[in-house]
Amino acid sequence: MSSSKSPSLIDAESAAEMFVAVRSVAEHSFFAVAEPQDDAAFGRLARQVRQWLVATVRLENGSIAGAISCTLGDDLARALFDAFTGRDPADPAPTTDQIHDLVGEFANMVCGAWLRRVAGAEISTLGHPVVAPAAAPGAAGDLRLLVAVDGRPLLVDLQLPDRPGRDAADRPAMRG
Amino acid sequence: MRILIVDDSSMMRALIKRVISCTNVPVEAIFEAGNGAEGLALLETHDVQLLLTDLNMPVMSGTEMLREIALHERWRGLSRVIISTDGSSARREEAADLDVQCYIEKPFSPEVLRDVLKQVAVAHRC
Repeated sequence: MSSSKSPSLIDAESAAEMFVAVRSVAEHSFFAVAEPQDDAAFGRLARQVRQWLVATVRLENGSIAGAISCTLGDDLARALFDAFTGRDPADPAPTTDQIHDLVGEFANMVCGAWLRRVAGAEISTLGHPVVAPAAAPGAAGDLRLLVAVDGRPLLVDLQLPDRPGRDAADRPAMRG
Repeated sequence: MRILIVDDSSMMRALIKRVISCTNVPVEAIFEAGNGAEGLALLETHDVQLLLTDLNMPVMSGTEMLREIALHERWRGLSRVIISTDGSSARREEAADLDVQCYIEKPFSPEVLRDVLKQVAVAHRC
């Protein structure tokens, strides 16, 4: 595994590829619409969220190593669950484990779709998604994407290793 | 048709089952496993015609399971389909060497899986 950080992975083009990955996952598997957000618009959406969930997937792909985390509100997670499984409102509510499984799979698919776009030729190794609740979104990763999925906030962070001056313990998205 | 779904995500297994149920492909039984080792154990004890498997899984990966399957003559007629987030060209070449008939990238549209199911059903005369 390389510990070097490629600037091309945290530039605007990489962010655009990340958004395409998020949009593809949202549309194809969750029948949802993803739209990019600026800080102000995202802040308005985020203020309505009471409970957050953070799903982190570690990745290795040739020279790329790091982690991608998806941070979303519990209400979006439940909406995505219903869309993914076709749950009828009259059916029993999903368990916490089912919600975590779903959010982990969402992050897994975003990670895989992004890797295909930025490093399509090399074999990827993705870790098992780690999902944990959070009172608020954590500090931004090396690349952060602000998105609204069906009008609800989603943050996607790419964390690459060996960033000087950053304490790993201050990265809530990496806990688990 | 008898189908085995191997994926560590129960949600993904549920989605695949839902897509299968929406097709008009005749399905006799659907078995589920959470990793390659569980998948092999089910193959040992059940007559399966189609294997739908993820790659990145704990305990035993899909690739390791497919390598084991390729060693045994009794699974020669088993149709093998990968459903994975890893769609790299290197992984696809690896899959082709393991007699994988089709490679579906996640996320996938239901129509893609439906078309694969129909092809396999025709091949097995279901």
